[in-house]
Amino acid sequence: MDSDYRPMRLDEIDDSLQKEIRKNCGVDVETCMECGKCSGGCSNGHVFDYTPRKVVQLVKLNAEDILMNMDALWICLSCHLCSDRCPSGIDTARILDYMRQKAHRQGLTTRPKIRLFHELMLSSVQRSGRISELPLLLKYNWMTRQYMKDAEIGLRMLLKGKLTPYAPGVKDNEHIRRLFAGSTVERTGGKP
Amino acid sequence: MNVAYFPGCSAHAMAREYDRSARMVCNDLGVNLEEVTDWNCCGATAAHCLDHELMLGLGGRNLATVHRMGFDKVVTPCSGCFNQLKTTGFELKSSKTPRRDIPRVMHLLQFLTEEIGLDRLADLVVRPVRRLKVAAYYGCLITRPRKIAEFDDPEQPSSMDRILTSIGARTVKWSHKAECCGGGFAASETSIVIDLAGQVLEAARQAGAEAIVAACPVCQLNLDSRQKSIEEERGTIYGLPVIYFTQLIALAFGHPVRKTGLRRLMVSALPLLERTGLV
Repeated sequence: MDSDYRPMRLDEIDDSLQKEIRKNCGVDVETCMECGKCSGGCSNGHVFDYTPRKVVQLVKLNAEDILMNMDALWICLSCHLCSDRCPSGIDTARILDYMRQKAHRQGLTTRPKIRLFHELMLSSVQRSGRISELPLLLKYNWMTRQYMKDAEIGLRMLLKGKLTPYAPGVKDNEHIRRLFAGSTVERTGGKP
Repeated sequence: MNVAYFPGCSAHAMAREYDRSARMVCNDLGVNLEEVTDWNCCGATAAHCLDHELMLGLGGRNLATVHRMGFDKVVTPCSGCFNQLKTTGFELKSSKTPRRDIPRVMHLLQFLTEEIGLDRLADLVVRPVRRLKVAAYYGCLITRPRKIAEFDDPEQPSSMDRILTSIGARTVKWSHKAECCGGGFAASETSIVIDLAGQVLEAARQAGAEAIVAACPVCQLNLDSRQKSIEEERGTIYGLPVIYFTQLIALAFGHPVRKTGLRRLMVSALPLLERTGLV
């Protein structure tokens, strides 16, 4: 064995991110036993750069830079399998939500299209209190310059009456607007 | 019996047949679904992905309205809405200043199993959907995460299987009951949905199912509308209709196909229904 070898000591590592997550999400990563059930079950883990088990370890290692810039933040499906199966009760999906929101506030994303879709959805809710699927999809295609994306499926759905140009909105729209005041969507106006 | 009902945005367009068949079935069972007054979008995937406070605000407004309407519970047919409202309720109840006006949130599947009961369902069956061999598909959020959902078994759920059995269908044992369909990524990262929904379809085919039965508009949409692309991608023809569980109940209760909205599915269920003598 290399004579310089020395096991990593977590007690020597800055634990500020760990504390931040405990405080803001009520999630304690200290109990992780690295069994890997979260990663084994993860619906999209096969295409993640960092699987849920690694995410928990990165929190312990205070590796905020990696967490904020990883692709997994944006392609996590929020299926909650990791959180549900964790024998130690660690809500990893909540950690991913928290880090994604933090990255979003700093304008970071590895998947601009996914983020744009989320933002367009929320700006639809901001405007009318509900989501109108057809205008949302058309706007998304327009803004990503994929004018013909899903045109065939869209047309078939339109003929089946599954897409309607207009959905009734919320009457008390003032209340909805108040909810959006100060939100990340309010600041960007739905435009990334 | 009057029950507060949160339809969710999909009920107005994509999943209108789910909404209508749910109302029909409940009406037959003597339950009047009373729409939550001036409800707003639960925030869907987007709110909890980008802004936690916004999710709590949007969900909180709906829950407060239910309370003001004088109901202590609210039923929703959508798994996404179910999860968002349930999570919001959970957080508002367990915060430092706990809210006491939080109604219980139930998925429609849960309401029918736990509050109505299989016996009452079976009593109304006039056209048992016998010879129909289906895969009951629950997806992620009806049962997960268990501490929030508080319903059924997160790994091997059985409530829908029991409902389907009570109206005469046979359900298969399969591996992907509670696996993810790709969720809200159908438009923004289609390849993920093609991959995951493809795995679900393949598992249902291998288990010998002739149709998949769903209880969520997003699951239904991903498995149904993307099925053709998935078939091209995987080089396998599935031809599996993806039917809402309420549509099958409505059929078993004797409603004509025309009214159950079965014609609105992208992968037609009519050949299967003809073959099994249900049309």
